Amino acid sequence: MSVIAEHGGIAEHIHPEPQGFVRKYIFSLDHKIIGIQYIITAFVFFVLAGCLAELIRIQLMNANGGFLTPDVYDEVYSIHGSAMVWLVVIPILTGGFGNFVMPVQIGARDVAFPWLNMISFWIFPIAGLMLFSSFLMGAPVAGWTEYPPMSLQGGAGTSMWCAAIFLVGVSSTLTGMNFLVTMLKMRAPGMTFTRMPLFCWGQFATAPLLMIATTALAAALAALFMERQFGVPFYDPTKGGSPVLWQHMFWFYSHPAVYIMILPAFGIMSEVISVFSRKPIFGYRLIAFSSAAIALSGFMVWAHHMFTSGIAPYMQLPYMVLTFVIAVPTGVKIFSWLATMWGGKIHLTTSMLFAIGFLVLFTFGGISGVFLAAIPFDLHVHGTYFIPAHLHFVLVGGSLMGVFSGMYYWFPKMTGRYMSELWGRAHFVLFTIGFIGTFLPMHYLGAQGMPRRVATYDIQFQGINQFESICSFIMTAAILIFFINMIYSIRNGKPAGHNPWGARTLEWQIPSPPPYYNFKRIPSVYGLPYDFTEPLPYKHLEEELSDTPVAVGAH
Amino acid sequence: MAVVSIPGGGEVDQLYAETRELRLQGFLLFLVSDIVLFSSFIFAYLYLRNSGQGWPPPGITRPSISLAALNSAVLFGSGATMHYALENFKRGNFSRYASLMLCTIVLGILFLCGQAIEYTTLYVHDHVSWAGSGIFGASFFTLTGMHGFHVFCGVCYLIVLLLQSVHGVYDKNKYFGLTAGTLYWHFVDVIWVVLFSIFYLV
Repeated sequence: MSVIAEHGGIAEHIHPEPQGFVRKYIFSLDHKIIGIQYIITAFVFFVLAGCLAELIRIQLMNANGGFLTPDVYDEVYSIHGSAMVWLVVIPILTGGFGNFVMPVQIGARDVAFPWLNMISFWIFPIAGLMLFSSFLMGAPVAGWTEYPPMSLQGGAGTSMWCAAIFLVGVSSTLTGMNFLVTMLKMRAPGMTFTRMPLFCWGQFATAPLLMIATTALAAALAALFMERQFGVPFYDPTKGGSPVLWQHMFWFYSHPAVYIMILPAFGIMSEVISVFSRKPIFGYRLIAFSSAAIALSGFMVWAHHMFTSGIAPYMQLPYMVLTFVIAVPTGVKIFSWLATMWGGKIHLTTSMLFAIGFLVLFTFGGISGVFLAAIPFDLHVHGTYFIPAHLHFVLVGGSLMGVFSGMYYWFPKMTGRYMSELWGRAHFVLFTIGFIGTFLPMHYLGAQGMPRRVATYDIQFQGINQFESICSFIMTAAILIFFINMIYSIRNGKPAGHNPWGARTLEWQIPSPPPYYNFKRIPSVYGLPYDFTEPLPYKHLEEELSDTPVAVGAH
Repeated sequence: MAVVSIPGGGEVDQLYAETRELRLQGFLLFLVSDIVLFSSFIFAYLYLRNSGQGWPPPGITRPSISLAALNSAVLFGSGATMHYALENFKRGNFSRYASLMLCTIVLGILFLCGQAIEYTTLYVHDHVSWAGSGIFGASFFTLTGMHGFHVFCGVCYLIVLLLQSVHGVYDKNKYFGLTAGTLYWHFVDVIWVVLFSIFYLV
């Protein structure tokens, strides 16, 4: 008998509960376990890449350097950037939170291809180890962007870098496909696109970027690898190649990649801000469609990274204008969140504190991004510390704040326990102070012309750099508190129940941690999950929290 | 209907089936990302070609268009046989399906042989090589080689499909593997149309 037909085309996925530690926790097919695997692995790489960041800051305590040799310094910041982008922020936001939350939020029992999901995960730690192992054979020295011709001259580790990023890209591409099919085909009955939670909208806008942009990067990396290993001339100008070609191909990926890193965080913001303001999200459709608009226009602005690379002037102007245009849907989101908070009953939980921190810091970073889109300004600050200042404000103040907010928000769902709110607040306060102290002065340094990616600098900047380094230690201490809090709370946190925040999306209507099959019965959805004055817009959820057996075929 | 018991009592339907619809969607998305991969290299080729060195770069002989045209005819012919193979399978005409499938495989192998001849001529006669002939060698051999690799994978996949269908893995109602094989083969054809135009015609 056709179950598929009975449920209006919704395929139900459920695999037998895995037995034994290895099948349950190592080679698991369950999207929730895979999500947690992603989060843990990404946090391990986060610690490693964070240590590299501290090495950079220790080096910069002294204008003449001396802590690291210039070569090692180049390797350290190259791997720091690559690891933070490809091994931390992208996997944790898409593979991590996306896997754990998205299928439950759309009322599915798993992603479309659980096996593929497991494979995507297992590629990721292997690629991560490969990336860090490049230190053993002379790591890349040309920064995370690896511009030729310098990347053609770096040590053997640069080829390893290519292979590692290629693999991590394969993992992202597979995840993107998997998520896209899941969201297109496996939503619960009644879960239309205009009723889908905004976190899922964030993932939905991200998935095609993961799929398309990452493949373009794979081509660029393959060409770089071939050139380094077999001497096939693509980028080497002495053999007729063009280094600017790499920049085009790299930024055709890496500009959409910044939206891969921020759109899921936008999704987390929409959930957290609505829940802790106890108000329906303001402008649901605008937020949803602006995600799609950002994803689409993200493909059309890549050359704004290349204003100083000698691209034709008639190409520069459209890129500048399009980049300004992208700020509009982003602004729409920011104002929608502010309007959501306006007049709401705001609960200042740690998660909400990070969301507010996100609003302030990301907006700041976004505005400096608009500065950088202006060609005359960009020409002035290109290659200075203004760029790291901007990108850390959007990546740390944006994406990472989103990760922390999401972590405090969904931790009770993952483990059934709260993380300590007191230590969470300590984390928030120290982290924000440390972050602002580290990266805000960099704008000034950049405008004054301190070049990035150089192991030494002019003595006049030493005081500010020492201040930044001290602030970065505060940030590290805050992250240490976060990890201790998280590890401690897994076993010893206060029990949280199934819906500690009074949230209304589907994942909070089932037990914590959710059973491997998610729902005993696939729910029906007849409304938006954000209307806090109305009853829950779901049917068939009565049995989820009880021990009532479900009759076979009782749908 | 298979069932799975839930701890604490009760059961839910087990339907661990990646349905045809899901697989088709997933496979199409795979093809999309493959198209992006080719597009990126094609972009690189066009970018390098227009970087002001003239085309073909000095000292390079272009590969012969007649051999490539013959080879294209072989590949497009295999697209047609593949199409009719699937149609015959759907109608339950197994023997015609099998012979058409065999035709497709043979034509695919012929295409690869043609490409091998072309490469050998270029290398031995015209001294054009992958790494030693500047951006011409790099873009030509990388793109056509990547396409050739796709054809090779396609031939292997079609052989597996043929063996599977001989062993009765597919029937009239369940033949997603054959659909995927056909889609993939047409995809390889379409890519060749583009490559043929940009390398031989213009």
